[in-house]
Amino acid sequence: MTELLVACVLLPPVVAGLLVWTREGRTAELMASGALALAVLAGLVLAVSVLAGVELPGGRLVGGRLVVFDGVVVIDAFGAYLLGLTCTVSAMAMAASPRYIRHELASGVLLARVEGRYYALLLWFVASLLAVPLLDNLGLLWVAIEATTVVSALLVGITRTPDAIEAAWKYLILGTVGVGFALLGTLLIYASSVQVLGQSSDALNWTRLISIAPSLNPSLLRLAFVFALAGYGTKIGLVPFHTWLPDAHSQAPSPISALLSGVSITAALYALIRFHLVAVDGLGSDFSSTLLIAFGLLSLAVALPFMIRQEDLKRLLAYSSIEHMGILALGVGFGGPLALLGVVLHMGLHALTKATLFLSAGELVQQYGSRRLSAIRGTLTGAPVAGGVLGTGILMLGGLPPSGIFATEFAIIVGGVVAGHAVAAAVAAVLLALAFAALAFHGTRLMWGRRGKDAGVSHVARAGRGMALRLAAPLVLVAAVGLWTPGPIANALDAIRAVLGVTVG
Amino acid sequence: MNIDFTAADAARLLDACSAGVVLGGLLIAGTRSMGRAIWLVAAQAVLLSVAAMGVGVATGSPQMVIGGLLTMAARGVAVPLILGWILRRSPVRTERNPYLGPRASLVVAIVIVFAAAVTIDGSVVDRALGGAVDAPRALPVAVAEVLTGLLIAMTRRKGLSIVVGLLVFENGISLIAFSLTYGMPLVIELGVAFDLLLATVVVWVYARRMLTAHGSLSTDHMRNLRG
Repeated sequence: MTELLVACVLLPPVVAGLLVWTREGRTAELMASGALALAVLAGLVLAVSVLAGVELPGGRLVGGRLVVFDGVVVIDAFGAYLLGLTCTVSAMAMAASPRYIRHELASGVLLARVEGRYYALLLWFVASLLAVPLLDNLGLLWVAIEATTVVSALLVGITRTPDAIEAAWKYLILGTVGVGFALLGTLLIYASSVQVLGQSSDALNWTRLISIAPSLNPSLLRLAFVFALAGYGTKIGLVPFHTWLPDAHSQAPSPISALLSGVSITAALYALIRFHLVAVDGLGSDFSSTLLIAFGLLSLAVALPFMIRQEDLKRLLAYSSIEHMGILALGVGFGGPLALLGVVLHMGLHALTKATLFLSAGELVQQYGSRRLSAIRGTLTGAPVAGGVLGTGILMLGGLPPSGIFATEFAIIVGGVVAGHAVAAAVAAVLLALAFAALAFHGTRLMWGRRGKDAGVSHVARAGRGMALRLAAPLVLVAAVGLWTPGPIANALDAIRAVLGVTVG
Repeated sequence: MNIDFTAADAARLLDACSAGVVLGGLLIAGTRSMGRAIWLVAAQAVLLSVAAMGVGVATGSPQMVIGGLLTMAARGVAVPLILGWILRRSPVRTERNPYLGPRASLVVAIVIVFAAAVTIDGSVVDRALGGAVDAPRALPVAVAEVLTGLLIAMTRRKGLSIVVGLLVFENGISLIAFSLTYGMPLVIELGVAFDLLLATVVVWVYARRMLTAHGSLSTDHMRNLRG
């Protein structure tokens, strides 16, 4: 049963991708949605069963971990969480794709023969993202993350405009260097574990590594973490490895931007956290935590001016992703029960909010025929659904209460003070306040600002009730979490924190 | 068979191949011709795979022999063929005005090699691993190649030269892989080779698009996205 479910997560998107490559129109849309729905359902069942601690028929939970295929696939609570997030955001991106792509085809931005390829690549991108939380072996995890880069680079440049080609090229080259360093980090951790375990095939399995972490060679482990930080840090978009991110996330078709900013960078952060956990067990918490705090603060500080002065809607969202990855790195570095609670929730809330924002930004960009923030104004009257969602979402992203993001950022800051990093926490609090001001400035102008004369003509099909629901529902969820956390979810959060090293009494 | 290929022979082979890899890296840093650079980086990969297979035979590890064959097939043959295809369609086949000229690059690359040789004590790894094959020179060479590759990728203007730089970088990483651990488990080697091949195909796709859009592979056309 569990074997079948895992197969259902990965195989349908891969196979359907092959079939959909040459299709067009309705057929392509239906095939892609069908395959993705199957994968998402299977993934959600697996994720919920692990998080709720319910054993599926034929699958035993060992210490909260679901072990499938002789330990090739191991899903613990943290993995289940990322799996669930990836499923949710993938479903959102898929649901938004037909409307978005039809408009791009009609306006001539995309060639008709590219339609099938778009859906094929989307499916493969999702498949590689879904593989990340399933794999226990850090080497295979690397293979999956490199695959996400290669496939999504094709999606970033699918419109073939010079700007899109530039963005995709930078993404491909810097992404390859980045994951090259991550491979080096993986090699070094393998070298350290081979000294303990011998040339065994499970010497790179995270569950094995974490159990032998204290006996790993400390200098190799230190070096491994540094390279993993530089490598996966590139994919996460931590400053100074971030230069590709605003280009790629803004040039990609909007449903792909949602996947890139929602889950792709989160998946890389997930990989880095796995390295961090081994490093903490092997070296004590100082070494890797200090590095994470430093890079987190740097990301916050550098992203801020670019957000304030931003002229391009999608780049604004992309820089905010850098900022939020900075907050998460900071929170992981702080450690402790409170900050980690914030980190865990923040990962999910950021993924949902950012994906929603990119999807509604895609609507607005099509409607106004421009990405410039100076052109997209007064959206509450011009495009109430997408404009309202985008404006509200931007404010919530900045941390306007009662958004859950306010609660999680607050938890990370207070957690930092409690853990004895008062200075870093204070600096972060100031930077977050300024980032909120920047987002509030852009968000309010976007909703209520006076429209310029050159504002584009709307030629998009009117927004239906389905779209309103699709865009608003994730934001309602994000707001609800800020106010109320029901028991089962609180238990799941505790289970995830337990993986991150917090013993919950 | 009556071939007596001992660990000492393998160590000599590894040293010889490492020397060849260093020489290849220096020549790539010092050339303007993109065609020559592609040949040289392929030669580096072939040397790597020969070394891997030699060590594999000497230590009786079939995994390393297969890993070597994989390297040969992916980096020695498939990737250079794809790059050669791109080169034949590119109007400009030399690196005209790189940020750092070939002579200066060569000097920097030589400095990198010497610095790596002096600062990195490769024997540490072997003592730690209790390795059967004594190869203290492989690790400094590997680190030098990683840095040389980055140097080439950062200082060239043409897309193809940048990709060659990345391949030198990747060759360095696989040399590190097997000087540290005698190779990764086979499944991972397979995955790495597959990803590299996939990445090269994507490079090919974008090279075609760049040729269509700008008529050249120069990255000078790509300065639009800022801020």
